[in-house]
Amino acid sequence: MRMSIKLTTQAYCKMLLHAAKYPHCAVNGLLVAEKQKEKKKDSHSTPILCVDCIPLFHGTLALAPMLEVALTLIDTWCKENKYVIAGYYQANERTKDFRPNQVSEKVGARIAENFSEAAMIMVDSTRFTMGCYEPILAIYDHHENKWKCRDCNVDSFDDWCEAQKITSALLEGRSYESLIDFDNHLDDLRNDWTNPEINKSVLHLC
Amino acid sequence: SVCKFISYSVGVHKMRDKLRKWREDNHRNSEQIVDVGEELINEHASKLGDDIWIIYEQVMIAALDCSRDDLAWTCLQELKRQFPGSQRVKRLAGMRLEALEKYEDASKQYDSILQDDPTNTAARKRKISILKAQGKSAEAIRELNEYLEQFVGDQEAWHELSELYINEHDYGKAAFCLEELMMTNPHNHLYCEQYAEVKYTQGGLENLELSRKYFAQALKLNNRNMRALFGLYMSASHIAACPKVNATVKKANVKYAAWATNQINRAYQLAGRGTKENKCSVKAVEEMLESMQITMS
Repeated sequence: MRMSIKLTTQAYCKMLLHAAKYPHCAVNGLLVAEKQKEKKKDSHSTPILCVDCIPLFHGTLALAPMLEVALTLIDTWCKENKYVIAGYYQANERTKDFRPNQVSEKVGARIAENFSEAAMIMVDSTRFTMGCYEPILAIYDHHENKWKCRDCNVDSFDDWCEAQKITSALLEGRSYESLIDFDNHLDDLRNDWTNPEINKSVLHLC
Repeated sequence: SVCKFISYSVGVHKMRDKLRKWREDNHRNSEQIVDVGEELINEHASKLGDDIWIIYEQVMIAALDCSRDDLAWTCLQELKRQFPGSQRVKRLAGMRLEALEKYEDASKQYDSILQDDPTNTAARKRKISILKAQGKSAEAIRELNEYLEQFVGDQEAWHELSELYINEHDYGKAAFCLEELMMTNPHNHLYCEQYAEVKYTQGGLENLELSRKYFAQALKLNNRNMRALFGLYMSASHIAACPKVNATVKKANVKYAAWATNQINRAYQLAGRGTKENKCSVKAVEEMLESMQITMS
């Protein structure tokens, strides 16, 4: 039985802030989970908790070099922080298009090589509202070389009420204006893709 | 009082200058444009002189981006009143229809512009944008190619076409578009760097070597282009690690990669000075570069 995936408020909200910052672009990024200490025998009962989100790029997603740099750099950062890259998210350029494509499948597969339970997440922009009344993700699992969509509902969240409340508040407050993705970091190295200020805001609102 | 008047008009000048800068840089910061522009239009229209018309246009487009049809409509009416029968205003009316997803009506609007003026490039580009919005990439690519046969010097169009090709994973054709841009803009480091990225993505030893050369060229044109620096590092490292290359080529690429490593580390040290948070980035970069050295040797 596949392990279920859960998202923390911080992971969910940074994903949505990234999409909100660039409504006219495709955006993508990574999800990280805490590294499990030992493999428990009945480990299928413990869901994978994605604790954070690293926004990567906006605009053209189909080029390799900077993606390779980002994956390698973030992998190193993960090792230092006892995280593992556990997922990939993408929001397509056109609102009505929320199907996975070649980019999402390729990157998802690459992540799955290192983490078999990796999730590929597509953001459904048609249901994106300031109020965040419902989760707007489609979660895909890698299964026999295919990606299968699984249910995403409030159970996919560590605390949906908190996630809904805080994401909505940050959207209203236009926090996305200060969200940093890896592209912003490459434009100016002082831009911090771990987004400490937004992390603080999330904690503050909890 | 006089003081109040002065600070009032300084504010207006500042706002007007902001809008002008955003226009010149072609910034798509639509929410900010709406914030500043709406206030200027509603409170200070009389102080703007003839600038007001271009501001109405800029704010209208930003308003469409933010689903502020009320504001877009106001701007459009003012422009229609001032410039009756203008093609430029007609195009704006078409853009509003696009924003409302009334693509057929928008297309008809552009067709009527083209009937009066078959060389109207703006209307043709809007028609191609409609195809893009509808997800008809193959048609958009075909129309854009036809457009470029007629308007071969239109750089914005060549760049748009390169992006369309990249999204379709047709890297060879994307490279061709970027080659056109590099030819006509030999000093533009961004085109060099994008071309290098496309070549790298295409893969294979020959393309990797080309990508390395163009990353290096981009760096020559702008030594602060971090993508070019990282790209040089990645391409040289991959070439050095390739079993097909001879010892001379390998040695040369190890040197290039080592030089790039140095420069990357320097850039991070410079950026990380004084900030606690960036220390993790610096460390991560150092470790990443170290681990790649191992795979190269």
